[in-house]
Amino acid sequence: MLQARGLTKRYGGLLALDCVSFDLHPGEIVGYLGPNGSGKSTTVNLVVGLLEPTAGDLSLLGLRAADDPIAYKRQIGYVPEEPYLYAHLTAGEYLLLVGRLRRLPDRALQTRIPELLRLLQLHDSRYTSMTAFSKGMRQRVLVAAALLHNPRLLVLDEPFSGLDVNAGALLRTLLQMLAGEGRMIFFSTHRFDMVEKLCSRVIVLSSGRIVLERPVADFAREGPDCLEETFVRATGQRDFAPLAREILATISGG
Amino acid sequence: MRDRPVVVLVRHFFISLFDLGILSDEGAESLKRVLLGILALAIAAGLLLTRVFMTKYGMLAGAAPEAYAREVVADHAFLMALPMWIVAGAMSLVGQSLFPDETDFRILMAEPLSRTEVFAAKLGALLLFGGLFVAGSHVGLLPVAALTLMGTANTGSIIAAAVAFGASTLVASLFAALGIVAIHGVLVLLASRRRLLAFSGAVRIVVIAGLLLALPLVARLPASAGAFEANAWWLAWAPPAWFAGLERWLLGDTTRGMLAARAMAATIGAAAIAVFAYVRLYRRFDRVTFQSGGAVRSPGRPPRIARWSRGAPVQHAVLRFISLTIQRSVLHQGLVVGLLAGTGGLVLNSLLSADWHVDAEADTAAVWTLLWAPMAMVFLSVPAIRLALSVPLDLHANWIFRMAEDVDGRAEVAEASVRAVLALAVALPIALMAPLQWWVMGSGCLVVVLVEASIGWLLVEFLLAGWRRVPFTCSYIPGKGFIPQMCVKAFASYVVFTFATGLMLQASLRHHAVAVGLASIFGATAAASRLRRARHARQTSLLFEDQVPSDVTPLRLYAD
Repeated sequence: MLQARGLTKRYGGLLALDCVSFDLHPGEIVGYLGPNGSGKSTTVNLVVGLLEPTAGDLSLLGLRAADDPIAYKRQIGYVPEEPYLYAHLTAGEYLLLVGRLRRLPDRALQTRIPELLRLLQLHDSRYTSMTAFSKGMRQRVLVAAALLHNPRLLVLDEPFSGLDVNAGALLRTLLQMLAGEGRMIFFSTHRFDMVEKLCSRVIVLSSGRIVLERPVADFAREGPDCLEETFVRATGQRDFAPLAREILATISGG
Repeated sequence: MRDRPVVVLVRHFFISLFDLGILSDEGAESLKRVLLGILALAIAAGLLLTRVFMTKYGMLAGAAPEAYAREVVADHAFLMALPMWIVAGAMSLVGQSLFPDETDFRILMAEPLSRTEVFAAKLGALLLFGGLFVAGSHVGLLPVAALTLMGTANTGSIIAAAVAFGASTLVASLFAALGIVAIHGVLVLLASRRRLLAFSGAVRIVVIAGLLLALPLVARLPASAGAFEANAWWLAWAPPAWFAGLERWLLGDTTRGMLAARAMAATIGAAAIAVFAYVRLYRRFDRVTFQSGGAVRSPGRPPRIARWSRGAPVQHAVLRFISLTIQRSVLHQGLVVGLLAGTGGLVLNSLLSADWHVDAEADTAAVWTLLWAPMAMVFLSVPAIRLALSVPLDLHANWIFRMAEDVDGRAEVAEASVRAVLALAVALPIALMAPLQWWVMGSGCLVVVLVEASIGWLLVEFLLAGWRRVPFTCSYIPGKGFIPQMCVKAFASYVVFTFATGLMLQASLRHHAVAVGLASIFGATAAASRLRRARHARQTSLLFEDQVPSDVTPLRLYAD
C-alpha cells in the first residue's frame, strides 16, 4: 500500500502542497484531479521521489521514502507529463539504458525490450533515433520504460497526452489489467472521461489541498457530468460564461 | 521599421545564432564573463602581435625593397589567414542554422509570413553574423596591417597597397564564409532529413578539427617568405597564399597570376554553390525539408544487448550512453573533437619545429619532443574531455537517472566516466604518438608507453577523484573562478607537468628499471585512488540539477 501522510511542499515562500494525505491500495487506480497550479505535479514528483517533501511522510509497501529512498524508488514506474527522454537514442537503446540502470538481467532485457517494442507498435521504428518520433511515440516509449522492471506502483502524469485513439485504448486496458494483478496505479490527469472509465476512486486537489475524495462509482450513480460539476464546485471555479464573453469582447475589439 | 516582420525575424535568427541552448541563466551569465575574458585575452594577443611585428619591421627599415616586399607578401598571407580562420570557425559552429530548416518551416510557415521574408531574414541574420566576425577580426589586425603597409622600404603607393590588401583580405574572408555555406548547402540538398543532423555534425567535426590542426600552419606563414619567392608547390594548396597572390597581382605583379586565378575561381565557385543551394531550397522548401530519411541503422541488425558483458550493468549503461551521445550529439561531438584537435594542433606545431635530421644532437631533440608530446596531449585532453562530459544534453531527461540511482550504481557511474576519459584523453593520444615513437626510438618506446599510461591513469584519477555526476546531466557553469588566475595556474601546471614527466620518460628510456619502478609507483597510486574513489562514491549521492520533468520550459527556436 502507498501511504501519504501530511505531505507539504514549500518553494521558498510559496506553499505548493499543504498537508495532503491519502492511501492507495493494491489493485486500485486512483485518479488525481485538480486545476492548473493546484499541486498535482508537485504531488507526483514527491510520490516518485524526485522531490523531497518539506514535511510529511511517504511509505510504499512498508518502506519509508525518507529511510530508504533507493529501495522505495525501485518499486515505482513513472510516466512523466512531458515525454522527456534522450531523443538521440533509439527506443531500444533507451529501454536498454533504463533496464541496465534498473539492474535487470540481460536475459530479461533480451526478451522484454523487443516484445514491448512490438506490442507498443514501435518495432518498425526500433532503429530510428527518437528525434524523429511524434509525441505519442515518445509517450509509448516512456510507458514501456515504466513497465520494464514490473513495478508495484505505477505513477502516470497525463499518460494519454499525444496518444492516438488505439494507443489510448490499449493503455487503458493495460492499466486495468495491471490493477487486476494487484498493482497500484496513481493517475494524475485533467480528463474526466478517463477517470470515469478507469479509476476506482478520485482525489481532487485545489490550491494545494485535498477538497474531495470519493469512489468514482458514486458519481456514476448520480448521473452524467456529475464528476465535472462536482469538480467545478469543489475547486471553487466560477461560472465560465461571463469569462468567455469577456474574451470574445476583447478579440472583437469591444 | 523596427517592428516589421522581417526585422523581427532577422533579430530572432541573429540571436539564435548565439544561443547554445544548453546553459541555465546562471550558466549563460557565467559564459558572458568567460567570453569577455577571452576577448580581453584576444586584445592582449593582438597587442603582442603588433609588438612582434614592430620589431620585425624596425629591422627591415633599412633593408632593400626586394627583401621588404618578400617579407610583406608572407605577412599579408598570415594577416588574411587569421580572419579567414575566425570566420570559417564561426560559420561552421552555427552550421546547422545556415539554412532555414524544418523548425522554421513548421513554425514560421504557419504564421502570416511569406517564404521570401523568411529567407531574406535568414540571409540578413547570416550577413550580420558573418560581418560581425569579418569586421571584428580585421579591426583587431588593423595596426599590424598598417605597420606592414607603411614601411619605409615600401616603394609603391601606400593607398594602392592598402586598397589591394583590403580588397584581397575581404574577398578571402568572404571565401571562407561562402565555403562553409556551400558545404552545408550541398548537405541540405543531398542528405535525407534524418541523416542531415549526423552529416552536418560530421562535417563540423572535420572542419573544426581541420581548422585547429591548421592553426600551427597559419602561425608559420610569416616565416614563409622564402617559399613565396621560390613559388613553392604547397602555395597552390594553401588558400591564404591564393589571396596574398591576388593582392600582388592587383598591384601589378603578373608572376602571381596563377594564385590570383585560384583565389577568384575558388570564391566564385563557393558563391555559386551557396547561391544555388539557397535558390533550390527556396523553390522546394517543403519537399527538401521533409524528404524522407533512412534509418539510423539497417533494420536487419540485431540489438547489441548480447554484446554487453556481465556485471556492473550501470557502468556499461553509462559508458554506452557516453559513446552514443558523442557519436550523435553535434554539440558534444564538436566539443570532444574541437578540444582534442586543439591539443593535437599544439603538438603538431612542436613536431613541425623539431629537427628531424639524424645526427646525434638532433636525434636527442627529436626524442625529447616525442617524449614531451604525448604528455602534453594527455595533460590538455584530460580536463578537456572532463569538460565535455560536464556539458548537459537535456536536463529534463535526467529524471530517469534520478529514479534509478542506487548505492553501487554511484560508484559505477564514476567508473564509467573515468573509463571514458581514460579512453579518449589518455589511450588515444598515447596510441597516436606510439608509431612515431617506435619509428624514432625503436622497441625502447614500449617502456615509455607503459610509464605514459600509468602517469595518464594517475592524472585522470586525480582530476576525477570527486566526480559525482552522470555525464551530460548537470548544468554547465563555465568560468567559476577568476579567469586570469585560472590561466596562470593552468599554464604553470602545464609547464611543470610536461617538463617533469618528460624527464621521467627520458630516464625510463635510458634505464628500463627506472621505467618499471615509475610505472609501478604511479600504477599503484592510481589503483589506490580508484579504490578510494569507489568507496567515496558509494557514500555520496549523485549530483543532479534540481529540475523535474514537469517543469515548464519556454520554446527555444533553433535549440539543438
